[in-house]
Amino acid sequence: MNGRRRPRPVSRTLVYAALAGFSLFCVFPLLWQIRSSLMTAREIFTLPPSLLPAVPQWNNYLELFRQVPFGRYFLNTLLIVVVNICGALLSNTVVAYAFARIRFVGRSIMYGLCLATLMLPQTVTMIPLFIEWKLLHGINTYAPLTVLAFFGNAFYIFLLHQFFKTIPTEFDEAAFMDGLNHLQVIRTIIAPMCKPALAVVAIFTFLASWNDFMGPFLYINDQSKFTLSLGMKYLISGYSVFGQWQILMAASVLIVLPVALLFFFMQRYFIRGLTMGGLKG
Amino acid sequence: MNGKGTRSAPRRGGRSHFLRRYNNFWGWLLITPVVTGLTLWVAFPLGLSLVTSFTRWDLITRPIFIGFKNYIDMFTSDALFWQAVVVTVYYTAAGVSLQVVVALGTALLLNARVKGMKLFRTLFYIPSLVPVIVSSALWMWIYNPQFGLFNILLTWIGLSPQKWVFGTQTVIPSLILMSIWGIGNVIIVFLAGLQDIPRELMEAVEIDGGNAFHRFRAIILPLMSPIILYNVVIGIINGFQTFTQPYIMTNGGPANASLFYVLHLYRQAFMFSKMGYASAMAWFVFIATAVISVFIFRTSVRWVFYQGEHRS
Amino acid sequence: MKRALFSLVVVLVAVVAIAAAPADNAKLTFVYWGSVNEDVAMKDAFKAFEAANPGITVEPLYIQGDISGTEYAAKLRAMAQTNTLPDLGYFRPDQFGEFASAGFMMDLTDLVQKENLTRDYLPQVWLKVNNRVFGAYTAAECQMMFYNKDVLKKAGVPMPPADYAKGWSWDQFVKYCSQITTDVSGKHPGDSGFNANRITTYGVSYQLWHAMLTPPLWSGGGGIVSADGKKFLMDSPESVDVIQKIADLINKYKVMPFTNPSSTSQAGLPTPPVMLANGQLGFYITGQWELLDIAKMGFPMGIGALPIIKKPAQMYISGASVIFKSTKFPREAWLLHKWMMTPDKTLNLYTSGLWMPTKASWYNDAADLNKWLQNPVHPPEFRTAVLASMKIADPIPEVRVKNYTQIVNECVNPQLDRVWLGEISAQEAMKKAGDLVRQQNLLQGTW
Repeated sequence: MNGRRRPRPVSRTLVYAALAGFSLFCVFPLLWQIRSSLMTAREIFTLPPSLLPAVPQWNNYLELFRQVPFGRYFLNTLLIVVVNICGALLSNTVVAYAFARIRFVGRSIMYGLCLATLMLPQTVTMIPLFIEWKLLHGINTYAPLTVLAFFGNAFYIFLLHQFFKTIPTEFDEAAFMDGLNHLQVIRTIIAPMCKPALAVVAIFTFLASWNDFMGPFLYINDQSKFTLSLGMKYLISGYSVFGQWQILMAASVLIVLPVALLFFFMQRYFIRGLTMGGLKG
Repeated sequence: MNGKGTRSAPRRGGRSHFLRRYNNFWGWLLITPVVTGLTLWVAFPLGLSLVTSFTRWDLITRPIFIGFKNYIDMFTSDALFWQAVVVTVYYTAAGVSLQVVVALGTALLLNARVKGMKLFRTLFYIPSLVPVIVSSALWMWIYNPQFGLFNILLTWIGLSPQKWVFGTQTVIPSLILMSIWGIGNVIIVFLAGLQDIPRELMEAVEIDGGNAFHRFRAIILPLMSPIILYNVVIGIINGFQTFTQPYIMTNGGPANASLFYVLHLYRQAFMFSKMGYASAMAWFVFIATAVISVFIFRTSVRWVFYQGEHRS
Repeated sequence: MKRALFSLVVVLVAVVAIAAAPADNAKLTFVYWGSVNEDVAMKDAFKAFEAANPGITVEPLYIQGDISGTEYAAKLRAMAQTNTLPDLGYFRPDQFGEFASAGFMMDLTDLVQKENLTRDYLPQVWLKVNNRVFGAYTAAECQMMFYNKDVLKKAGVPMPPADYAKGWSWDQFVKYCSQITTDVSGKHPGDSGFNANRITTYGVSYQLWHAMLTPPLWSGGGGIVSADGKKFLMDSPESVDVIQKIADLINKYKVMPFTNPSSTSQAGLPTPPVMLANGQLGFYITGQWELLDIAKMGFPMGIGALPIIKKPAQMYISGASVIFKSTKFPREAWLLHKWMMTPDKTLNLYTSGLWMPTKASWYNDAADLNKWLQNPVHPPEFRTAVLASMKIADPIPEVRVKNYTQIVNECVNPQLDRVWLGEISAQEAMKKAGDLVRQQNLLQGTW
């Protein structure tokens, strides 16, 4: 008798049922969102509700752009995201390399301090940062939303640090013999070898930046500077889409769409990023 | 961390002094972003926040030093403060426990050699991609007492409709349910951890005559405990910072039943211009979080098992 | 030599004259909230002002307002904190007292007196602190009852009276609401087998925030706070009775859908207008500014007199229009301020149903009345049910009474939430609210 037991059909079915049930729970709200975005105002509020719209109201999406400068919001968000990605790639690579590859005095203390910030609740820095930015005249600008990316992020530093450890040092050593300094080594040797890890950093920076609400909420006042998240907030509580949940849902779909597409094409990197980061803590 | 990976340049006899200086220079140079970042965006704000917590300041007039008055007021004359603490602790304790159980359970199911594991994993993860502001709107719509999806489903199967986020007793459970919707990333982390467990260990239990439950208790739980610990602590830290959902969906209501800590703090700071008081609140939650984290780490020695340890 | 000197002097004088000439371009930033339609109407008004006043440009600062106004309030507060206030514009009425007495608003008393403006405008319009004028009500707004004619007809309910002084009694009103309320099998509340969980048509929906409760409270002889800010009125037996009556609509008579409680009005679940349009609701009692949106919804809309508990009552509510003291162009700001108060110049905002005018003649003079009422948005009942009721309209105390917002948001609303949920009685809730108000010493009189 071998150690492998034949899986019982009943428990198998239960397993599939549970998994299917939970998947439905995860996905159905989003499908409901898409369905609601394509209905008329009357249809959305009719009982009993229909699963699908009678005629898909693509017009809702146009109406959204007519009522708020949604395209503007999109561009603003894109700008912030791109700057954040640049900042994240530049700063985190350099810092993680230093922690991983250079033996210098105080390295473990600084690395420890850096990682300690992972446990820092944002709440405690929210107000003083606001005051700081007020003094720096950064309120109502994109500075508070982009500048921090250039100063490193504990999570990405940790991620890249783990990844660097897997790269053998022969390459570095060869480069040093050729007289390159550390920065050049990073640029020419390490970075090209780390494309997967860098892609993870870029993707997660994109996600965090695209979805950020608190930042724009605290700092941005002018409607022309709104990001998608902030614009969404005013769609919910504001006058313009008063009672028009179908347009609200249309906005929701549009905000999630780019991220969903990114995920669809780069799934591997998402998974990798999560698993590399959360394991041996 | 010895052996390959930490040498920075070939070792040459008399050059070791130069090497050390070279490495120190470059090391510190390259971590400048983090050093300045820690100073500007962590140390200075923490200090500023601490100092502000001892003042009364509305940002327009000059700050007035009032000593510990903010802290005393917080504990003794602000009834809503304790309400906020209770609400936040309730949500976090119940929420994190449920999240860990559901995530681990789902990961175990996924790990049971099912077909379509990748598809399921993707479906579970998709909600995590949705920004909080969008999921708040979506779930407000789903929880609508007259037209929302859930009440429609309930009446369809013959149960009575619920008030969801609009009832004092049901608002926190509704928000917890919403948080379970988004645990895809935790499931993925747990799944990866499960997949890392060597097959031989699982089989050893079976050969000894154990069933799934024994497998779970003897092998899975101990080996997963570091990951579980990490997620519990992060879950608690995040739980204490919940703001967007109550702000958008319920505005702390009904009857302050969803007045989360950070929402109360936000109001003190930005609606009433009580920057000092809000800073005191911020420091309290910071210390509380730190104490709880330390406590969990300390007690974790009992139940967390790191590979390489020997346990009797 | 003399000629050269003379030319030099001429050139010098010319240069000095040009340099010293006042810049003829004043730039005013006007801050406001509102719906998309309001934004369009405001921008049109600004353009007309610019055309009539060459040399002044107006920069609209449209702050995506929120229905409860808390966002706008926070934004303006932040602007005050960072010295970036605009020149003039809208201000939240409940913040007016605080900011005016702190010196952020321009004192308009002399200007108003000099130009004798009190004669042309409704008496309640000018907002004062310590007897000095610091702003004016932007418009006149009040409470209104909408209904769906088809829904009433189908239920066999007569159309409500169009004369505000002859509104239905409360008991009559509840009776008719019961007639309208039907469940899935056509049963009414009170019928055996009535399923309260599967109601398809509701009788009435009340907006439940403080301003919407004020007219019924006054109608019943109660109130929220006294006009002098010294007495809390919600725990009086009359007020308690009114609150309980409204709560009973939801929980006892089941004629009102459970809508979001007062504290979540910001969460904006504005389903009553759509329910009304869909034929799922009979009566909707809300602010008169909703006429702008409801008139466009394409259903047979009716306007009726508010139900009367003890006596007819109506409120005067509006945002405040102010000029900020920090403005660099006080003269021009005053011109724009007056322009926006002139209904002729901003007619769109009145004909669309959003506002009612603040100029007295627009309530008395037949020609002026027709200018803003002769359109499909304002059916004839509007004049008798709504306009006429402004005769007895009192301004709600939020502008004058100190700590009004705190009293309402911190003490009253959380208790009201539980009353609407049916968890406690109005009596118990209002007693608790009153205790909180007195405990926190919030009754500090008026500004």
